[in-house]
Amino acid sequence: MPLSPQVEQDRDSALCSAENALAVIARPLESVPGPGREKSAPQKWARHSAWSGLIKIVCFFCLIVVLLFGLNAIINAGLRRIKTSQFGVSNKIVQGKINAEIVISGSSRALTHYDPRIIERTTGCPTFNIGLNGSQTDMQLARLKTYLKHNQKPKLLVQNLDLFSFVTSHEIYDPVQYVPYLKEESIYAGVRRVYPDAWKWKYLPLYGYAVEDMRFNWMLGLKALAGIQPKEDHVNGYRPRDTSWTGDFEKFRTNNPNGITMETEAQGERDFEELLGVCAEQGVPVLIVYSPEYYEMQAIERNRKDVLGKAKEMTGHFNFPLWDYSESPICRDRSNFYNSQHLNESGASAFSTDFAQRLLQSAIVQAMRKAH
Amino acid sequence: MLFNSLEFAIFLPLVVGLYFCLPWRSRTPMLLIASCIFYMAFIPAYILILFVTITIDYIAGIYIERANGPARRAWLVGSIISTCAVLFVFKYFDFFTGNFVGLASLIGWQLPKPVVHIILPIGLSFHTFQSLSYVVEVYLRRQKAEYNFITYATYVMFFPQLVAGPIERPQNLIHQFHEKHDFDYERITAGLKRMAWGFFKKLVIADRLALYVNDVYGAPQNFNGLQLSLATVFFAYQIYCDFSGYSDIAIGGAQVLGFKLMENFNNPYHARSIPEFWRRWHISLSSWFRDYVYIPVGGSHNGIRRWLLAVMITFAVSGLWHGANWTYVAWGVLNGFYLLVGTATKDWRDRTFGLIGLHRETFIRQALMLASTFVLTSLGWIVFRARNMGDAWYVVTHLAHGWDFHQIGTEQFLLRQLPVAVASIVLLEMGQLLHGKVSVPSLLIRLPMAPRWALYAGLVIIVVMFGIYQKTQFIYFQF
Repeated sequence: MPLSPQVEQDRDSALCSAENALAVIARPLESVPGPGREKSAPQKWARHSAWSGLIKIVCFFCLIVVLLFGLNAIINAGLRRIKTSQFGVSNKIVQGKINAEIVISGSSRALTHYDPRIIERTTGCPTFNIGLNGSQTDMQLARLKTYLKHNQKPKLLVQNLDLFSFVTSHEIYDPVQYVPYLKEESIYAGVRRVYPDAWKWKYLPLYGYAVEDMRFNWMLGLKALAGIQPKEDHVNGYRPRDTSWTGDFEKFRTNNPNGITMETEAQGERDFEELLGVCAEQGVPVLIVYSPEYYEMQAIERNRKDVLGKAKEMTGHFNFPLWDYSESPICRDRSNFYNSQHLNESGASAFSTDFAQRLLQSAIVQAMRKAH
Repeated sequence: MLFNSLEFAIFLPLVVGLYFCLPWRSRTPMLLIASCIFYMAFIPAYILILFVTITIDYIAGIYIERANGPARRAWLVGSIISTCAVLFVFKYFDFFTGNFVGLASLIGWQLPKPVVHIILPIGLSFHTFQSLSYVVEVYLRRQKAEYNFITYATYVMFFPQLVAGPIERPQNLIHQFHEKHDFDYERITAGLKRMAWGFFKKLVIADRLALYVNDVYGAPQNFNGLQLSLATVFFAYQIYCDFSGYSDIAIGGAQVLGFKLMENFNNPYHARSIPEFWRRWHISLSSWFRDYVYIPVGGSHNGIRRWLLAVMITFAVSGLWHGANWTYVAWGVLNGFYLLVGTATKDWRDRTFGLIGLHRETFIRQALMLASTFVLTSLGWIVFRARNMGDAWYVVTHLAHGWDFHQIGTEQFLLRQLPVAVASIVLLEMGQLLHGKVSVPSLLIRLPMAPRWALYAGLVIIVVMFGIYQKTQFIYFQF
């Protein structure tokens, strides 16, 4: 605030010009053209100039719109050319390049728990992991439908179960992972159900990239067009995490001293049933697996038995087996995890070995081989 | 309706198109309707509050002009009290009753705290002050009363500056509603360029820095000294770019329609002293407080004690205007203190610097003055931004503690955002420095059309691609 004597002098001079301000009020009224007056040449010129100005402005905005659509198409094309990272996995799915015999589906727990190399080595069946980071059953279903549309039907689908499998998505996690694939019916329908405004991602140029994504993933698209691929962090869809225990669980437990109750939603249950139904309809056998979860976390989940009971009941309707690894020794060793829900690379390796051995010894792989 | 929303991107071209298509006399009513739609996009019912204050001050303006003597003064006082009462109820009721109950409990009175959970109408402080300036100016006979209700209502509600200023004076704005504004290509494109610059400040700089600032100031105890210092500098730029970006969009939008609003900022971080900073920061509010608080309280013509009192009252009230929280009051008082100490030590500082050969005109002295003004201002912003005085104290006392260069990012603000943030601040400063020396628009206009358009289109694409769109409101909307 300019509170000095000099400012007050400025103010005084401003006061002196108050009459001038009043004079300004009167002035414009004189310049208004009266009714019936003929338009003079300058007026015609002004009108012509206004039209040409308007046309220029409209042309400029058209240019911007064209550029936005063009850039959007370039980024889309670039992202769909990526062969590595999460985009590489999605691209392989929509390009029908996977055609694995064992497909693993689920959330980030599936993504980080199942090493297809180990499973393939042990069972001899080509394996691929289509686990989707930050997803609930609804978006996993959308991805599975897309997979089944473009690839040969797998001989076994391993659907990883979470305690939150019967909850619907309340937001789209990392939207940009879906944006280049919105022409896929199942993905677009899945995304729209969670976030009705997602039509903007599809129809408004760059909206999905510039508005919804703060990580500059659109740059990956531009780089891919120039032949630069992002760093590969996925192996046959599996994402190993070489991370030690983060300590987030301790904070979580402190914040929830009375434990937690996992909600279930009717729509979430229907989605899970639909996922099983889609596989049953297409003749794809499903193995439901509750992969390892850190034992101290299991202790604070109050309705754990109810949720797993519900899952058993639902899979029973379709005669699909459920393997529960809650009691596995892997769960009791903190060094296998980086947080309560996710195994790190060595934990995933131990689990995948155990899982593959069990699979090999089970009737499932025998049946697959017989069918082959 | 936020300026940085899809709705506004549709709203503005429609309003501009309609404005220039309609006959001249229908334009002001159309602007009023558009302003109502703009305001009702936030909370529709709150338009009634605006209607009440507008009606009161419209009637008061006419009666103030007609009356003489005590009646004239009574109309003014009545108008001010009723307008301020609205502001008090919606903005300060909880604050004052809470403090009153707290004070009462100190002397043993256990009073129940009356809780009124009212959402603050957006921009209430701005249009209240604009209304007040109208009645005061009419009272002082520096402005004629506006007899056309629609024109007066549009003056208060003019959508570009309705929710966050600039707080216009009636002498500058009302007469413009009586003028005919033609479709002028040069003026419109100048307005659009100004808006684009405002969007750059808001979307690319302010909202990106907000990611960092919100994380750090949300729980300062979780961050090291480097992060606290960085967040403090970032907040200085965030609040500047947020608010001056809004002003640029408002001024540019009004310019497209043919209106000239007052400038609200003049490179405040290029100031070399605190008084200069306040001449460059939120000019419309600073001049409002100068004219309607500081000078009536005593100004500088009534002795040193009166001046001290006037300065501190003005700054404390200015702090309170920003929000019903002691942090804002403390921020105002701190700035008043800066100003008083700065004035008291001016001669001593000049002599001391003179002894080592650093006269005012030397580059080093100028740089020192600029840096020290920025540091003092940023320290003030800590108090302004912190959730409470405890957090503010923690930040101030931990700025130099445990700097860890391996830990700079936050959960929301990944390290990859840092180069964009720094580059955009550098671009801002370069733009402002350049603008002070040469007229950038006149340089651009000399370019042939193709490279000029390519440059403009490139800048628009940069804003689109590097902007942050998290539906973040402008900081000053809450005031």
